[in-house]
Amino acid sequence: MFFTYLRRELRRRRKAALVVASGLALGIALVIIVSSVSVGMSKAQDKVLESLYGLGTDMTVTKAAAAQGSGGTERPRFEFDAEDDDATQSTDRVMVQGFQTLAAGTVDTVGEQDGVANAVGGLSLTVMKVDGQFKRGEFKQDESSGQSQGGPGGGQGGGGQPQGRVEGGGASFDVNSFTVYGTDVTQQDLGPLTSSRITEGRTFKASETDAEVAVVDSAYAKEKELAVGKTVTVSGTAYTIVGVSTADSGDAAADVYIPLKQAQTVADSKDKITTVYVQAADSQQIDTVKAAIQKNVSGTTVTTSADLADTVSGSLSTASDLASSVGKWLSIAVLVAAFLVAGLLTSSAVSRRVREFGTLKALGWKSGRVTRQVIGEALVNGLMGGVLGIAVGLAGAYAVTAVSPTLTAQLGSSGGGGGGMGGGGPMGGGGPGRQTASRTLDIALTAPVSLTTILVAVALAVAGGLVAGAFGGWRASRLRPADALRRVA
Amino acid sequence: MYQLKGVTKRYMRGKNPVDALAGVDLTIEDGGRLVIQGPTGGGKSTLLQMLGGLDRPTAGTVELDGVDLARLPESRLTKVRAESIGFVFQSFNLIPTLTAQENVETALVPLGLGARTRRERAAEALESVGLGDRPTHLPSEMSGGQQQRVAIARALVKRPKVLLADEPTGNLDESMRDEIMDLLDGLWKEHGLTFVMVTHDSSLARKAPRVATIRKGKVTVTENAAA
Repeated sequence: MFFTYLRRELRRRRKAALVVASGLALGIALVIIVSSVSVGMSKAQDKVLESLYGLGTDMTVTKAAAAQGSGGTERPRFEFDAEDDDATQSTDRVMVQGFQTLAAGTVDTVGEQDGVANAVGGLSLTVMKVDGQFKRGEFKQDESSGQSQGGPGGGQGGGGQPQGRVEGGGASFDVNSFTVYGTDVTQQDLGPLTSSRITEGRTFKASETDAEVAVVDSAYAKEKELAVGKTVTVSGTAYTIVGVSTADSGDAAADVYIPLKQAQTVADSKDKITTVYVQAADSQQIDTVKAAIQKNVSGTTVTTSADLADTVSGSLSTASDLASSVGKWLSIAVLVAAFLVAGLLTSSAVSRRVREFGTLKALGWKSGRVTRQVIGEALVNGLMGGVLGIAVGLAGAYAVTAVSPTLTAQLGSSGGGGGGMGGGGPMGGGGPGRQTASRTLDIALTAPVSLTTILVAVALAVAGGLVAGAFGGWRASRLRPADALRRVA
Repeated sequence: MYQLKGVTKRYMRGKNPVDALAGVDLTIEDGGRLVIQGPTGGGKSTLLQMLGGLDRPTAGTVELDGVDLARLPESRLTKVRAESIGFVFQSFNLIPTLTAQENVETALVPLGLGARTRRERAAEALESVGLGDRPTHLPSEMSGGQQQRVAIARALVKRPKVLLADEPTGNLDESMRDEIMDLLDGLWKEHGLTFVMVTHDSSLARKAPRVATIRKGKVTVTENAAA
């Protein structure tokens, strides 16, 4: 009887049921879309951070920022000898990114701290290569004083100083900058290279600690027409390319990866590193580990993923803020409104059925049975709203994923502070660790719907039905059969 | 057997108290037939509600077979209504979305009977009121007389001791009125029910063996030997 009565009543009041279900559906759909977009945002942020750190890295340790003026004044210096006219000259400078290094032993010190599962060191370098030629100017003598060849300060002609001017001449140099990352080939499961996958050739072998081999990023390889088997020259040393890597998202951490020892040699930074990549034993204890390292390893700055996430700006950050603030509150407001509307409509429906429920009570139906009937109807309305809401929500999330709007993430310079490259520093940026000032990544937004989100939606549908049923049930339970029949008499 | 003693029902109309029933004493024997009549607002329906356990008096006792309905807890009063009292209303009060058979079954739901037993007894009840061929009809697909027959079947399907009818022919035309009254009289005799009916219709009152006339909350009972 319960289900027969329920079915017939819902069929009779299709429009009211549809209004209640639609209201709940709207709220539930919003919750699904906002939740899934938020998850998408979070995943996008994770991708941004992974592209910097690589998978599994919970924090990095870098040298603490030096006092202003003491560390930021170094600049690369290029010197060219006077050579034959029009001869091409080339020179390159290898600089440690940020000019701040730590002793290689720091890796072991960090690794010994409580809560540290793994620690790996790396050396980030920037190579600036300048090549081109000087061209002498041509001295042109005035017609009255004859002509003579010579550069500035050239020889003096026979009778007195020649009268004329220098024309042409100058210098044409091409500046080429690329980043090199010295990786610990014995521990390749941590560090920037883990955010890329080898798409050609192979990665380093553990035995290649001091081998002249390199892995190049696919974008750099394409630009410079490099491939496995060819060589890439860093500060005069030719490295055989053994693999080409492709960043999983955004830009790669470096253009060229070489063994750490080789990087230390070319940068003249023996036993030096720029960054220690740290994996915590327990992801819930990251703050504790950070505090321990900062306390026990002096002169270092520890940057966690959370610290770095705070520096993410751009449309990803804006959209993320929007989803977590406006989206969340809009969802809550719509849900509350939908719950209230459902409750009031159900209560109003009970008021219109006073005679019906009064009759049932006169026939001996207990208040509880009448209330259950009302709640049952409201619950079915809620579930219909839930099904409708889940369908609309899934469609919305699918649409977001299908469109995949591109969000830009800019990583701010506060992730470690200091160490700026100064006016004459290398262009382009970014590398691992704190040298993230100008790093910009484009991330395609997705809206993955998890089972948890669906379960939350179902729970909301049931809750909506129960809230509506509570309104109506309370009203029905207060009906007295005599009151109901008095309207009839 | 009903035994009412000093039954008073006081309502507040604004700030003024109004006695719908003012110290009513009344006895109705088992199997008796009583017609209650009187002017509108005189307290007829209020008295019927007291008899049916739908409302409680402000003062006095309403005993049914020695049990005071006025003092009975709500759950037990509901049980008494479910098992012992059948109601027939002026506007039929059928559930519009349920078929004739399902409407009759609603009276059996509180008794906790199985679905099959409910179906069988409902079918029998419909048969007894001449609607055995229309179990699947909705109220909207039936005439007023047929709807009232369904309501009577619903009242009797649980085999109650008492049948209370509030203006059962009030919404019917004259031919239908006689038909329904003949049916009710026949069932009363057949089942040995205690039958109490409220009516405005003097012609129906004249046919009753006992008439309670209620005016300003006071009841006067007259016996009709000719009926």
